Amino acid sequence: MSKLGQVVEAVEKYNKFVLDQVKRARSDEKFGRELADRWNETKSKTPVTHTPTGLPLPRLALPEIDEPGEIARYLFGEGLPGEFPFLNGAYREMYLAESGNWTAETGKQNPKSEKSPSAAAENSKAEEPTRLFSGLMLAEDTNERFHFLSAHQRSKRLSTAFDGPTLYGIDSDADGVFGKIGEGGVAIDTVEDMVRLYDGFDLGSPIFSASMTISGPAPIIMAMYIAAAKRRFGPKVVPKLRGTIQADIFKEVQAQNETIFPIEASLRFLTDMVEFTTREMPRWYPISISGYHIGEAGSTPVQQAAYTLSNGFAYAEMFAARGIPVDQFGPLLSFFLDCGLDAEYIALSRVSRRIWAIGMRDAFGAGPRGQLFKLHTQTSGRSLIAAEFKNNLTRTAAELILAYMNATNSCHSNSADEPFTTPSEEWIRLAAHGQAILLEESGIFKHTMNMLSGSPGMKAVERAVEKAILDEFREIERLGGVLAAVEDRFQRSQIQNAAHRYEQQIYDGTRPIIGLNRYRNGSDDVPEVKLSRTPRKKQQLQVDRLAKFKKKNAEKAKRALDKVVAVVERGENCFPALLEAVEVCSLGQITGRLQEVVGRFRPMV
Amino acid sequence: MASPIRILTAVPICDGHDSAINTINLEFIRHGIEVIYLGYHRSVGDIVRAAIQEDVRAIGISSYNGGHIEFFAEVVDLLRKRGADYIKVFGGGGGTITHEDAAAMKRRGVEQIFFAGTSLDDMVKFVHQRYGKPREKRARAKTPDIELAQRLTEIEESRNAKVESRKQKKIENRKSKIENPKVIGFTGPGGAGKTTLIDELVLRFLNKDRQSRIAILSHDPSVIGEGALLGDRATMINSQDDRVFMRSMATRGQAGGLSPATHDCLALLAQSNFDHVIIETVGTGQEAMPFQQNGIVDLNVLVMNPDYGSRLQLQKIVMLDLADIVVVNKSDLQRARTAHSEIEQRLEQNRRAQRLIDTVAKRHRDSGVDGLFNLISGGERSHRVKARKKS
Repeated sequence: MSKLGQVVEAVEKYNKFVLDQVKRARSDEKFGRELADRWNETKSKTPVTHTPTGLPLPRLALPEIDEPGEIARYLFGEGLPGEFPFLNGAYREMYLAESGNWTAETGKQNPKSEKSPSAAAENSKAEEPTRLFSGLMLAEDTNERFHFLSAHQRSKRLSTAFDGPTLYGIDSDADGVFGKIGEGGVAIDTVEDMVRLYDGFDLGSPIFSASMTISGPAPIIMAMYIAAAKRRFGPKVVPKLRGTIQADIFKEVQAQNETIFPIEASLRFLTDMVEFTTREMPRWYPISISGYHIGEAGSTPVQQAAYTLSNGFAYAEMFAARGIPVDQFGPLLSFFLDCGLDAEYIALSRVSRRIWAIGMRDAFGAGPRGQLFKLHTQTSGRSLIAAEFKNNLTRTAAELILAYMNATNSCHSNSADEPFTTPSEEWIRLAAHGQAILLEESGIFKHTMNMLSGSPGMKAVERAVEKAILDEFREIERLGGVLAAVEDRFQRSQIQNAAHRYEQQIYDGTRPIIGLNRYRNGSDDVPEVKLSRTPRKKQQLQVDRLAKFKKKNAEKAKRALDKVVAVVERGENCFPALLEAVEVCSLGQITGRLQEVVGRFRPMV
Repeated sequence: MASPIRILTAVPICDGHDSAINTINLEFIRHGIEVIYLGYHRSVGDIVRAAIQEDVRAIGISSYNGGHIEFFAEVVDLLRKRGADYIKVFGGGGGTITHEDAAAMKRRGVEQIFFAGTSLDDMVKFVHQRYGKPREKRARAKTPDIELAQRLTEIEESRNAKVESRKQKKIENRKSKIENPKVIGFTGPGGAGKTTLIDELVLRFLNKDRQSRIAILSHDPSVIGEGALLGDRATMINSQDDRVFMRSMATRGQAGGLSPATHDCLALLAQSNFDHVIIETVGTGQEAMPFQQNGIVDLNVLVMNPDYGSRLQLQKIVMLDLADIVVVNKSDLQRARTAHSEIEQRLEQNRRAQRLIDTVAKRHRDSGVDGLFNLISGGERSHRVKARKKS
């Protein structure tokens, strides 16, 4: 049985444990009384907050139950926010507005005091939950944009998008990529580009963090980032580096198609990187396990959650097999999910959080920090449509409510003009304000934890979704585990089938899309599209710079590449060799040479 | 009945957005169109080469990662340069392609750009209306590849074409002829890894002899009464090469894993200037013996998956009697050792010099694939290659 099978067993066992506790609470009077006492104490110690009109409300809402069995079902089955199995939230207070002395009064440890770097909610008091996503043209252009975007931010939380050639690990001078240089993201070929990209930012500062949305060549890009930081701040900066790199190979193979080495080699290079960063850079999140792209490629919500979680467990199994302690890597895993409009989203992330916690605790032996499912949510880009596009504002607003009902740690709201182009400032602003209206202006989430949790409908969705996710796990297990299922293209074909069904439903009208197949007025307006394309002159500049770099380092590059190859062929961790190689080699030189040794990824259809 | 329309679809280099094209492909084949799908992250050169070899009516490109004005124009330009501007180019990219972009692309020779919100129906209609009419007479082929591709189309579109067939060979009790075959047939159940194995062999052929040329005739099933998705190219990374001529064929209603035109097409390829011709059937069942009726191949390779079920199932697989080489691919799977010994016993009953080889085709530089290659490449160069070098 693979670890995934053990996870299924662990969840089943835990569910049985909960039922046993319910029975015990009812039959064992002493136990029942203890639970009731704890319950009453929690309620009585819950601070009271006041709405702007003066209405008093508790900061934590709990169901009106006093029967010990039901109390047991709640405390063990769901857990208070911030308590195992974390159904109601990874942390105690999430988005509540500042108030007095909740931590002191309850006497509980405030998880926020744990200084772990990324997930927004942990640091929400110190840092904005906003990440400023950008990537355009050449490194200096993105750098300028980063400075503009973060000028008024306390913290500098930069999120980097890369152009197509970089995502595929090829150089700007490669055949046929002219025209794509700097499109949709920044062009990075060398460590010198990486130095330019974050120029002027203090990479070792505790209020700086960098996020890099790249997976296929992630270990090489990670090495470039470290090398660039060392060039600017010396070797002592390395343990201080904070940020996230996506590095999610499984979802690339399942959905996003940006894989450059065969799967096993990709996973090996990833593990090499994770072994290095979790040891040397304890504030760096070396992988963001992403369901968003699986959802965008057309999966059902259940498939999205099931594949993302099972990918996560497969990574955990792999890292543990390499000998990395679970409490070293566990707390540095984070997740990224989509939130659309289907009913499943009412509880999808809640259930995911619970399954992750149980699996990590009981199948992997992770401690409390390694049990947390730290989640970034993005509203669904796929749910947005071009026809009568202003309706997308409403779609995104509804998705935001669902995302926060699930107690996501942070959230990105899409711009209504996304079906057309890279979002324009006008619509980005509206999207960001949507979040502020929900969290700051409205009283839905700022006064009381659990404000919208625990309705009979939500519970029904939780049960159905959990069962469906476990069924998917069993199917993957039956196919021999995640890696075998991926190689069998199981997840891919499931996602494609779901995508096709979705299109069919739109076409035959069983899935209503307002303005498209229902209530269409036919007068589609189109947002004013202002495109930023990389001028040919700039693209040529990137090519010329690269040529200069290659010429300057020609001799050294050969030696460095030979060394990387030797290390890979000996089966050792290649990350230190990559760190040396990026000083003198371009991204394309390294991937090209590695592909000679381990092969190229064979695309799946 | 008119032959189905054949088109090629692809996603440009550095672009992995295949969700839209997957849906469109399915819609096309449901409406009688044969789609040769080249996959994502494909270069201009790969797209144009494939379009010429497959002799499609048009290329549909789905681009979501920018740079589309240049990319589409480069495809049009290269088609023209290669003398193949009878192949048209259309495409789309949701909202990423603006109306101004589309106008610029059309000025550079792109026939049509679909915008966000275009219904699948409209795309199907466009293809039928624009590419469904009989071809105009084409000018004399400018290159040997174009000529060959067009002759294959003639054969496929009219089975009356006068093409000299190779002599039919007897197959009964035929001795295994393994050394240096010209036409190699690959068959086996779906999912056994035939395409991957062929692609890995092609890599070795190309590396061994810098001048050799390979032809591949690949088959995929037609959807009953409809089109076909011909997707083998999408997973091939080594066979996209100027020295490889590949043609994808749909079975067009014929059972047994091949197309009504296979025999004649294969005969033409075998007469053409290739060192090896590889033919791949669709995934076959137990009773299939696709190459036997015509004796059209020199060497029969059966590719098996270790998960064939019980030993009893092996008795029913007819090709196990007829194959010259049996390959157990995916031999890294747990069941592979059992499979090997069960198949070995099964082959011993035949008392022919059949060979059994284990491979892991997905693995880079797999030694099993090396072994298979050495066996079928005979360790020495074919006469054809030597002859051509002299001339």
